[in-house]
Formats: sequence, structure tokens, C-alpha cells
Amino acid sequence: MDLLEQMVEAVIQGDEKRSAVLARQAVEQGLDPFQVIQEGCARGMHIVGDRFGRLECYLPEVILAADAMNAAVEVLKPYLMKREDRGTRGTVVLGVIQGDLHDLGKNIVKIMLETAGFTVHDLGSDVPVRRFVEEAEKMRADIIAASAILTTTMTYMPDIAAILRELDLREKYLIMLGGAPVIADWAAKAGADGYGEDALEAVGVAQRLMAQKGGAKVP
Amino acid sequence: MSGFWDVIGRSESGPLVKEKEFDLQVARIARQMIAKYAIRYQPEHVIPADDGLADRVFQAGLDLFLELGVYCRDTGRRMKFTREEVNGALKQAPTAVTYGQGRDVAVMTARVVEDSRPPFCTLTPVGTPVAEERFVPLVQSYVQEPLAQTFSSAFSQTVHGRPIKSGTPQEVEAAIWNVIKLREAARAAGRPQIGIHNLISNAERTDAILAAMQPDFGVLPNDGLGIAAIAELKIDYERVKKVAFLRHSGHNKYGLYGPLMGGYAGGPEATAIVHVAYHFLGLLAFEAQWHCGFPLHIHYGCNTTRELLWLISITSQALSRNTHLPISVSPFAAAGPCTEMVVYELVAGSLAATVAGANLLLAAVARNRHPERASGMEARIGAEAGHLVARQGVTREQANEITKKILDEYETRLGEAPLGRRFDECYDLVSLQPTPAYLDLYEQCREKLRGFGLDYSLL
Repeated sequence: MDLLEQMVEAVIQGDEKRSAVLARQAVEQGLDPFQVIQEGCARGMHIVGDRFGRLECYLPEVILAADAMNAAVEVLKPYLMKREDRGTRGTVVLGVIQGDLHDLGKNIVKIMLETAGFTVHDLGSDVPVRRFVEEAEKMRADIIAASAILTTTMTYMPDIAAILRELDLREKYLIMLGGAPVIADWAAKAGADGYGEDALEAVGVAQRLMAQKGGAKVP
Repeated sequence: MSGFWDVIGRSESGPLVKEKEFDLQVARIARQMIAKYAIRYQPEHVIPADDGLADRVFQAGLDLFLELGVYCRDTGRRMKFTREEVNGALKQAPTAVTYGQGRDVAVMTARVVEDSRPPFCTLTPVGTPVAEERFVPLVQSYVQEPLAQTFSSAFSQTVHGRPIKSGTPQEVEAAIWNVIKLREAARAAGRPQIGIHNLISNAERTDAILAAMQPDFGVLPNDGLGIAAIAELKIDYERVKKVAFLRHSGHNKYGLYGPLMGGYAGGPEATAIVHVAYHFLGLLAFEAQWHCGFPLHIHYGCNTTRELLWLISITSQALSRNTHLPISVSPFAAAGPCTEMVVYELVAGSLAATVAGANLLLAAVARNRHPERASGMEARIGAEAGHLVARQGVTREQANEITKKILDEYETRLGEAPLGRRFDECYDLVSLQPTPAYLDLYEQCREKLRGFGLDYSLL
């Protein structure tokens, strides 16, 4: 089994020690770090993501696989930085909206976006609308993504687009909304550019939005 | 037995643990319990009739709870309890809870497996979003149902025309408005003193909720609140603040538990074990008088899949065979109002729960997320099925055969379940009765269900 195949397997197994060792070996062998991420780590995560979609595996396996992928990426990062193209498919500022502490869904979306090659800045839970905007500016993000599980907190979501408009920044960012009580029609009315019924759909939407924006690589 | 102050103490002095570590331990310990107690989900036994399995699921849930404990998010600490404390709490737990006053008094009790007593039926739109002007009629459509013993709220999208935002002054206004309107709906239905099991659905913060719990707004002394645990097996101080208030105010309180099948716990067996463990969390950390489970499928957002029906049935059997806790199940249907699918999903959910010794909280439909896709008729459908199971004396074996036939009617369509009709499309808003089309649809489904073995003539 070649190194990339071993990396796929290490990620599927959620073996972060093994994936880090393989990443170091890849560097020593002079392999392209971007290729290792794409054809090793990301491919392994895609397989795990597909299995999760069919519930052939569950969230803990996805978390462990993501940890294994991140352990390898940490090793490869310094070598990636030397390249002009870091290979990210877009930068997402992600959080659970103000007043809401339920982050399980947001955590799944984060993992799935990272799996798909996005750089995700996780702001955690109970994130004030202004902070989404401030962090997006700081991180030079492409997408602001917010989730809510409560009907009493989803009402903050329209404020993201409103504040962006007020600050004359609306055209700069794509907005994605989701979460248990959020449906497509409501998200559109709240000013969202994209909506995901679940984490798997959210990734597809993020990829489509980035393709429309024209600034990122899409498979 | 541990009490409120012990719980607070443990949240301040229990061992520090990273939340992610706790999350991953849920599945790890659940897997150990699956192996230790030989717990196996069998798709052909949707409603299992294996007492040994039910008892093992109970023991596995208890062992998991003792080993894992409860995570307090505000302090990042693990709160652990001893076997003696859990057993003591189980022994001293209430066997019955009373709601309402006068001729509207209703008493929820614990039930047993294959109980001939009907389930206690709490009817509610489960917080379905609704336009402000239709809030009272929608809620009234539940309260007026003859089988309703308590009721609770929809979620008004605005109050006085303004959207409600958590943590703002309008949230306090909204909570008070919510309570006043609920009692108004009860009066309009001719049941002025019926109990409200969960007073407020449009406020999250404790200050707003407590501000609304005043007799002058129509709150009865034994109305109450539901306190929802955080998935999986976590609490925070916002929830425990409500406990502090309720232990002094004397209002009723119940625990709400929604483990995600496919989430941190894992598959159906692991999630069943975790679901049982939630009841100990509710008993010890919330001092809950009764317990309501709404386990959900992580992708479908409902609990009418084959695995979830099994989970509902085996955990309800586990708890009703081994405790005297009043327990309830909240069926969540993928399909919306006025569809054949919603009828079959709700009957299957009620069957799985009722024959296993649970009471019913009805009904979340259209995945509980689509505005105005809910009506009292779905609650009627589920409640009638629950009563029928008891009156007919349906056994678990019979329920299993019936449920498998019902599953054939919708199982493959869960991914693209129809949204159905809005409240104003499936009810006459003047008479506040279901449309003839909805009644006809239900009758056609009942005809088919008769063929499956449910004798609707007993209602």
C-alpha cells in the first residue's frame, strides 16, 4: 500500500498518531503536501463522510477521522505555507447565533466543511451578530455561517445581513444559515445566500456559492 | 440521596474534563455496555417482547450514567453520582403528577408494559412557529381535543408585530404574552382550568420565563415547565436556575431528553442506553417529576424510523419495568398535516410507546420545523392510537406485527416526506374543526389500520 493509501486508511480509522507519522514520512520523501492532503486526508474524510451520510458510522467516528486529518495537516502546514496556493476552498467564519448554546449541529457542519477543504474559524456558541462580522473581517472570510436551534434565537439571524448592509459590507460576504428550526424560505428572507437542511447539504451549498463567487477551486 | 445543593456542589468541584473528551466517552462507554449486556437491535423486532433485553438496557443505562456522569458546561466539570444515590432517587421519585384544577384535573401516573390503562395525553403543537393572529386558534385546536389532559404552546413568530429575540426586553414581553394567550385558548375551548405542562415556548432565558409565571397572567399553581438537557447528558446553569425557582414555587416540572441516533452515542443500541441514562440526569439534576423523551434520527429529524421505534419501545419498557417513574414519549413525524404518511407515522409512534408503558406527548410533525404545519388533528390521531392500544389490550407481539405493516406504508419515504398542509388549509378557521378532506383521509387510513389489527370500533 503506498503512502497516500495508508493515509486514507489512517484517517478512516481515526488514528491521529499514525496520520501524523505518515505526514512526516511524506515530507521526508518529498511528496507534494497539497497532494497528501487532497489524495490522502481528504479522500479518507470523504469516505467517512459518505458512510456517515448512510449511517454506516456515527458522529464519534467522524470526529476521530477529522482529528486524524487535522494531525496530518498540522505536520504539513509549514510546507504548505511556502506555496502560494494553500489549497483552501474558501474561508468560513462559523458559529451558533447569539443566545443559543446548542452546538452539536454546528460542530458537525464544521467537520464536514473542513473535510471538504474549507478553512473554518469556529467562533463557538452564543456569538453576537457583530462578532460574526468582526471576525469575518479579521479572517478575510468568504462565508459567514450561522446556526440556531431555537426559534427564539433564529430571529437574530436576519441581523447579519442587516448589519453587513449598514456597514456597506454586504457584497463582500456570502451568508449561510441553518439549524433545526431554520427552513429554506425563511433563510432566504433573512438574507441568506445559502441554506443547508443538514451538514451534508451545507457543504454542497458552500461549494456552489464559492464556485459562483469564482474565487475558489471546486472539484 | 443527593439534593439541589449537592448538585450545585458537584458542578463546582467535580473533576475538570474537556467537553470533547466527554463527548467521545459517551460512545466509548456505551459500546462497552452493549458488549457487557449483549444488547442487540433486531429490525424484525421493532417492538421487542424480550423482558430480559429491556432489563439489560436499563442496567446498561444505569452503569453508563454512573461511569460517565453529567457534564456541566458552565464549569467544565463532570458531576458523578453513586449507585446508592440513583437508587435512592428512584425510590423517592413521584409516582404521579397532578395538573389542572376543578373539573379539568388530570393525573399522570407511571404505566406498565401492556398496561390496560390509557396513556396520559399531553397535547401540543410542540413550539411550531405560527403567525401571531393564528396563535390562539392553533393552540385551541389542541386544547379542545377530548383526549387532551394538559397542553402547551406553539411559537408565535412575533408579539405585537415585533420579532422575539432571546435576551432582549421583548423576550420578557413575549413570555408574558405567551402565558396570557395560552390561558385564553383554554378558556375559548371551554376548559378554563386545564393544566399547562410547559408554560412558555417563546422565551429561552430564565428571567423572561420566571417573569411570566404569575397567577395574574392565568398561571395555575400546578402548571409547569419542561427542562431540556443538552445532548448528550449535559446541563448548564441556565437550566438549573429554573430548577431553583421551581423547587420553591411548587409548579410542576419535567425533564426533556432528545438523544440523537447517529450522534455522539452512536447507533440504536448505544443511543437507547444513553436515553435511559438521561432519565437519571433528570431525576438527580433537575428533580424532574416526570420525564419526556424525544430521541431523534440525526439525518431525518424524526423518530418514526424502524430503529427509533425500537429505541422508543425498548427504553420505555426498560424504564417502566424497573422504575415507577411517570415517563412519556414525544413522537416526531417526518410528514406534515393532512397526509396519509403522518397518520401512519403517528400511529406507529404511539403504538411503540404506549404498549411499552409510556405516556404520550403529541405531536411534532413536519419535522417540527415548518411554520403552521401542525394542528390538533395530528394530536388526536396519536392519542386515539394510544388509547386504542390500551383498550384493545394489544400485546407487544401484536404491536410488532402491526407496526411492521405500518412501516411498509412509509418507511422508504422518510427522506422525502411530504410537508402536508398548513393549519389554515386543513382546518376551518371559523368552526375550528378539521376539514372534511382531512377527516376523510384519516378514516381511509383507519380502514387500512383496521386491516392491520387495530379495532377502531373500541374508541
